[in-house]
Amino acid sequence: MKTLRLICLMLVSGSLFFLSSCKKDDPKPENIPEAITKVTLTFTPTGGAPVVVTATDPDGDGPKPRTLSGLINLVKNVSYTLTITLINELAKPTDPEYNVTEEVEEEGDEHIFFFAWTNNTFSNPTGNGNVDNRNDPLNYKDTDAKGQPIGLTTDWTTINATSSGTFKVILKHQPDIKSATTTSNDGETDLDVTFDLAVN
Amino acid sequence: MIKIIPLYSQLCCKMKYTFFLSLFFRISLSWGQSCEFKLSGKISDDNGQSLTGATVSLAKEKRGVVADENGFFEFNQLCSGKYLIEVRFVGFKTISSTVKLSANKVWNVTLQSDSTALNEVVISEKHIELAATSTYSSLSGKALEETLGKSLGESLREIPGVNTIQTGPAIFKPVIHGVHSQRVLILNNGIRQEGQNWGAEHAPEVDQFIASNIIVIKDAAAIKYGADALGGVVLVNPAKLPTEAGLGGQVHVIGASNNGSGVLSGFLEGGLKKLKGFGWRAQGTIKKAGDSRAANYVLSNTGFEEQNFSIASSYHTEKKGIDVFYSHFNTTIGILRGTAVNTANDLANALEREPPQYTAPFTYEIKQPRQSVQHDLLKVNAHLAEGKNEFRLQYGFQNNRRREFDFRLGAALSDIPALGFQLQTHTLDADWERSHSIRFQSCWGVNILYQNNSKIDGTQTIPFIPNFDHYTAGLFAVEKLMLNNWIVELGLRYDFKKYDVVGFNFQNRLYRSNIDFQNFSGTFSAKRSLGSFASLTTSLSSAWRPPNMAELYSLGTHQSAAAIEYGLLLDEKTSEVKQYATSGAKVEKALKWVVGYKIEKQKFTTELTGYINYIFDFIYLRPRGVTEGLRGIFPYFRYTQTDASFVGIDALSTYQLNRQLVLTGKASLLRATDETAKDYLIFIPSNRADVGLRYESKSLKKFSWNAESKIRWIGIQNRAPQVITPREIIETQKQGIDIIAQRPGNFDFAPAPNSYFLLSMGVGASWKLEKSKWDVRLSADNLTNEAYREYTNRLRYFANDASRNITLGIHFSF
Repeated sequence: MKTLRLICLMLVSGSLFFLSSCKKDDPKPENIPEAITKVTLTFTPTGGAPVVVTATDPDGDGPKPRTLSGLINLVKNVSYTLTITLINELAKPTDPEYNVTEEVEEEGDEHIFFFAWTNNTFSNPTGNGNVDNRNDPLNYKDTDAKGQPIGLTTDWTTINATSSGTFKVILKHQPDIKSATTTSNDGETDLDVTFDLAVN
Repeated sequence: MIKIIPLYSQLCCKMKYTFFLSLFFRISLSWGQSCEFKLSGKISDDNGQSLTGATVSLAKEKRGVVADENGFFEFNQLCSGKYLIEVRFVGFKTISSTVKLSANKVWNVTLQSDSTALNEVVISEKHIELAATSTYSSLSGKALEETLGKSLGESLREIPGVNTIQTGPAIFKPVIHGVHSQRVLILNNGIRQEGQNWGAEHAPEVDQFIASNIIVIKDAAAIKYGADALGGVVLVNPAKLPTEAGLGGQVHVIGASNNGSGVLSGFLEGGLKKLKGFGWRAQGTIKKAGDSRAANYVLSNTGFEEQNFSIASSYHTEKKGIDVFYSHFNTTIGILRGTAVNTANDLANALEREPPQYTAPFTYEIKQPRQSVQHDLLKVNAHLAEGKNEFRLQYGFQNNRRREFDFRLGAALSDIPALGFQLQTHTLDADWERSHSIRFQSCWGVNILYQNNSKIDGTQTIPFIPNFDHYTAGLFAVEKLMLNNWIVELGLRYDFKKYDVVGFNFQNRLYRSNIDFQNFSGTFSAKRSLGSFASLTTSLSSAWRPPNMAELYSLGTHQSAAAIEYGLLLDEKTSEVKQYATSGAKVEKALKWVVGYKIEKQKFTTELTGYINYIFDFIYLRPRGVTEGLRGIFPYFRYTQTDASFVGIDALSTYQLNRQLVLTGKASLLRATDETAKDYLIFIPSNRADVGLRYESKSLKKFSWNAESKIRWIGIQNRAPQVITPREIIETQKQGIDIIAQRPGNFDFAPAPNSYFLLSMGVGASWKLEKSKWDVRLSADNLTNEAYREYTNRLRYFANDASRNITLGIHFSF
């Protein structure tokens, strides 16, 4: 009986030693091109300095909420062009996956931005945006291969009065289904951020 | 314990019916002499395998019993005198012998296989040695055949106490007594099945067609197989290989209406004239299915396909034997397109929608989200019987490759899996069984496991679980003693486990961990016969398992979960990976008490099992709060430990109304409780019951038929946690309120679905020709086309369950 126990122990320890003696190399880290850690909204007026706001979430899926750089502070009765850039700061600026904007542009026929704002802050487009109703007015300045809007570039004119409220940007991934009628409730959400907005 | 289900199979097999006839006669005892003797023994085949289910009858007295899972039989209260005993088993030559009784007697029998007998559907049963006192149920013969074409998990639902966690119409994961995944051990052909079984949507990679019987052990008494079977063990056993020359085989062709599926499966087997004892088998299965249909719409992207094959050969002499087995399993499974949701907002939309988003016309095409899994198994085992000793040695190698494809940002990524892992497992098992006497046996053994998990490079995502090496060494001893009416069994086990982990944290930075675990587990069980017909079994067993990789390290969103999951080792504030020793995480430990009562009378059989499974430091996902990232609002869950109890009853009854009609009733009741928080747990199977009536035609020589109807009732889960809808989460978050933190405790995104009834019917016919046999079966499930949702199906948030399904199966064996 003792011999058996001994044999067992030898068998166990022997194989453990054998198995643990082969050391492996470290696994290679993956590029993670889909992670968006920083969103920049640039409102460029016709002449004058652009208004820039950012939202960042460096811990990605970690429990810390995203942080906003501040409010979007626009001037009344001015026309702006809004451009959106999406950055993946987990990659190096020289890596191709650093700039997620390009991915969205290349895959434009699967992506669309929706916008919503409060207090009728813009005279053009009017209303409260196309998040609640796809057919509400919006000035998309870019289109995909099928002629549908994307929304990386949009045009805006503020009302001729002071105002304050919120400004929401949603990016939807709508593979196979993107059309003139798909709404902000269709597809998967790649981006959903709300900033405070002021017009002075 | 004696099996109930396989009796169907024997009823309709071509065997002589003496035994069954004998059941219908009253037992007559002679008076006036000493009638307290016992005749017992073991039935085995010429290879020493016990023949479970063999019938032993006393011809003149019209008494009969069925050999138990170890081949043991017993007659009590016999008078002194001469008895004519007959022993029968399908595929073996019947033995008739006269035994003279003047005291208690042990009479062991070896049956010779009958090579001239037809290859029955139930070829001989090859059971891995089971604890005689364990509580188990099995599925074999006709009952198993009637589930062919379904997945392993789905077939197991025929067994009381076994349910499934389901992800759509094709992914079934077995749940035994309320627990699943790594708490349920699956032994495929004697080897522990090792895949990525941490995911509720990861089904066991087993071709159900390989099995000739499936056994579910519901107490943790299967201490030989591992310490971690907190819920139970599923044994998938193939039929024994032939030992004589000749060629046999089977072909199955099955088609089903609901998903337009087709299944072709079969095997060829044979032996060699020049080498008696040598046998081989080559087997293969092809399945293809399109989208399933719910009552009012197509469940888009729920098709699947499977291509499997296996080859086996063995050489057995009287005392020695060697087996080699290789199998390859390959599947692609689509997951309902409408479940691809990202945020609480997407989930809110999906919950409020019916039919689900992206519902499209029926197709066989499988797009994202989908899983692609390959599993290879190589097994070599040898056994040697030497006097009272038997030695077994078994080596297994498994290679499991899992890739999951999702909708991804960027055209270049659409064909790249978002999750990919390769898991390689080596197992070495050795045991030594000794029969000190017919009444005292012991089995000692050792199990060694080495496992390596590596991410498949190029997924361009942070891996959900890390790379790791996993070592396990276990030693066990089981002692079994038979005393008069008692069988007592005692088992003890020690395991050492080691994890060597290297992974990437949320910032894609490398981390390392080393964790050691060791523990003892034990089991005590006893069985007592109560008269000639009944027996009582009780067992108390302990089990333990360390947290798995997902429970320790996961960080991120899961396929179609719309929630973020954090592992036990992630720091609550920084999300950095902590070391195990300082994290407060513990191993999960269970104490399970099972009581079984069984009575088998002439017309009436009942099997009752009651259990209490108390799990200390039960690991589960606990809702903790709401976070807002750039993609929007997410509820988040942390793996947490609590004490949980699972208390339930399983019942199975059959009543022979007359020689053709059998009434069957089954019920499973379960109450699960989070004992620490006094809360309910989520995804616990609700109470359910079914009643079936089966007609078997009189046993004509060449043609027989049967018909069956079954009503299944599934109750509403009243013990479900509170509901917080995603809409509530979003609305309150907008007001700056974290509703999940405010309403602590478990919650579900939607209330538990209503109770429902399912009606199914089937007719089957068999033709026996001289050297072959045809079986045809037509069956309909959900005949009334009920639109329902099942609480344990993760698709219930998105869509109704599958509607009416008509299956036609043709089985040919020769």
